[in-house]
Amino acid sequence: MPGAFHHRDVCAIAGIGATEFSRDSGRSVLSLATEASLAALADAGLAPGDVDGIVRCDSDTVRHNDLVHTLGLSRLDYFGDVGPGGVAPSAMVGQAVAAILSGEATTVLVFRSLNGRSGRRFGLSPVTQRRIGGNGTYDEFFLPYGLLTPGQIFALLAQRHMLDYGTSEKDLGHIALACRARANANPLAQMHGSPLTMDDYLAARMISRPLRLYDFCLETDGACALVVTTTERARDLAKPPALIRAVAQGSLTDPQPGIQFPVVLHETLTTLPAKPTADTLYRRAGLGPDDIDVAQFYDCFTITVLLQIEDYGFCAKGEGGSFVSSGEIGLDGRLPINTGGGHLSEGYIHGMNHVVEGVRQVRGESTNQVPGAEVCLVTSTPLPPGSALILRADS
Amino acid sequence: MTDTTDRPRRILPVDDDHDTGGFWDAAKRGELAVRRCDGCGAVLHVPVPYCHECGSWEGSWTPVAGTGRVVSWTTAEHQVHPAYPVPYTIVLVELDDHPGVRFVGHLAGAPQLTDGQPMRVWFEQLDDGVVLPQWAPV
Repeated sequence: MPGAFHHRDVCAIAGIGATEFSRDSGRSVLSLATEASLAALADAGLAPGDVDGIVRCDSDTVRHNDLVHTLGLSRLDYFGDVGPGGVAPSAMVGQAVAAILSGEATTVLVFRSLNGRSGRRFGLSPVTQRRIGGNGTYDEFFLPYGLLTPGQIFALLAQRHMLDYGTSEKDLGHIALACRARANANPLAQMHGSPLTMDDYLAARMISRPLRLYDFCLETDGACALVVTTTERARDLAKPPALIRAVAQGSLTDPQPGIQFPVVLHETLTTLPAKPTADTLYRRAGLGPDDIDVAQFYDCFTITVLLQIEDYGFCAKGEGGSFVSSGEIGLDGRLPINTGGGHLSEGYIHGMNHVVEGVRQVRGESTNQVPGAEVCLVTSTPLPPGSALILRADS
Repeated sequence: MTDTTDRPRRILPVDDDHDTGGFWDAAKRGELAVRRCDGCGAVLHVPVPYCHECGSWEGSWTPVAGTGRVVSWTTAEHQVHPAYPVPYTIVLVELDDHPGVRFVGHLAGAPQLTDGQPMRVWFEQLDDGVVLPQWAPV
């Protein structure tokens, strides 16, 4: 059977590193990537010379050879690119696992670095040219109409979910509030020290109705890095290994061509690629939603979290609104989420800070530690496809 | 046509792409057209050069009725492009005669819309002879 997998718990994340998350790093993206990478190696008790593989995100401006140079590696035996964008982080870990299992590498550095606020801002319209589209992008069917940003795409999904299931703006607000509450206990979070109430949430300006300011993620300058190696080797390193129980990638059924906007043509507007990704992930892990102690959901927008809570099977489709409003996503709830604050309140490192926080949880070193957390779901499932992984404490 | 004003210029579609150019040619004739497979009649939308249903590489641009229903909408209130002043509303419209085939449209302001609202296509003339099929409430 495809995916009757031989990677279960065989590899582990042995080291994690992060820079400061800010609005203006005042540094190059390469400088940030180098700092995060050195931090991850130090965390693992490894030296740069131990690295023989690097996996990067296709959106990154730092190339493999840039890091090889700054870290002073004498050679690189394996290098990979994964994307698109925020779909990458879990799949990047998966590619590192595949490289190790195939014998192409032993110690793989995985990183994401961006000046997402002071440099290229994802929330701004990317359109500067007079003509748009063609060449398989299909952007010509969308951008000339003013459909210009991912936030507007997700607003269309949110509106449909509200029509179908009676989901309310307050429901989405509960996701924003949960992430902000976690960030307020995380000194590394950009929104540390900035409390948010439901009144604040509802009073914030609309960006693309029904999504308000606090339904949108932050823009961040910063970097995160991971070191992936075999579990056997990780057990001899500095920190308790975070076992990679399983990884998976998934597409929407009947995926649309193009870059991102054609996703609004997909049959259902209320199911993400999270659903097929979840099915594969749980099968490979031999686990299900009941086994998950804590989750780090990719949260470019609040609605993205709500849809994933349904797609990963924590409640039925359509019941996400009542699930998030009932306190289930809080630290004392059934499913604490985004315990570092997530993209909504910790920082936007394009999904990689979610992997870092997942490792902290299964090590027991989160600033919002879920007592006894042994199994953490980490998702990279916005659109158009997705990826996800499950981390497990070494018991 | 020379644009002599200082107003920001709207984004124009690439209208001569191998796979999608026929859609914009049809719009210039005042037709909303979809690509249909000559082999089996399947609607290929967004337009693609090959029909995986029957294996045909042949297709034709076929006019459709130009009526549909709103399946979702969002009103943009935060401006991200100077030629698209807020508020404006993006509608996602599904064709009456080809359920599952969708287009987006642009409405000025924040009109009251309802789920399933009937819509009809119209054709907006832009610079450089470009014609954009648009949607208005019936």
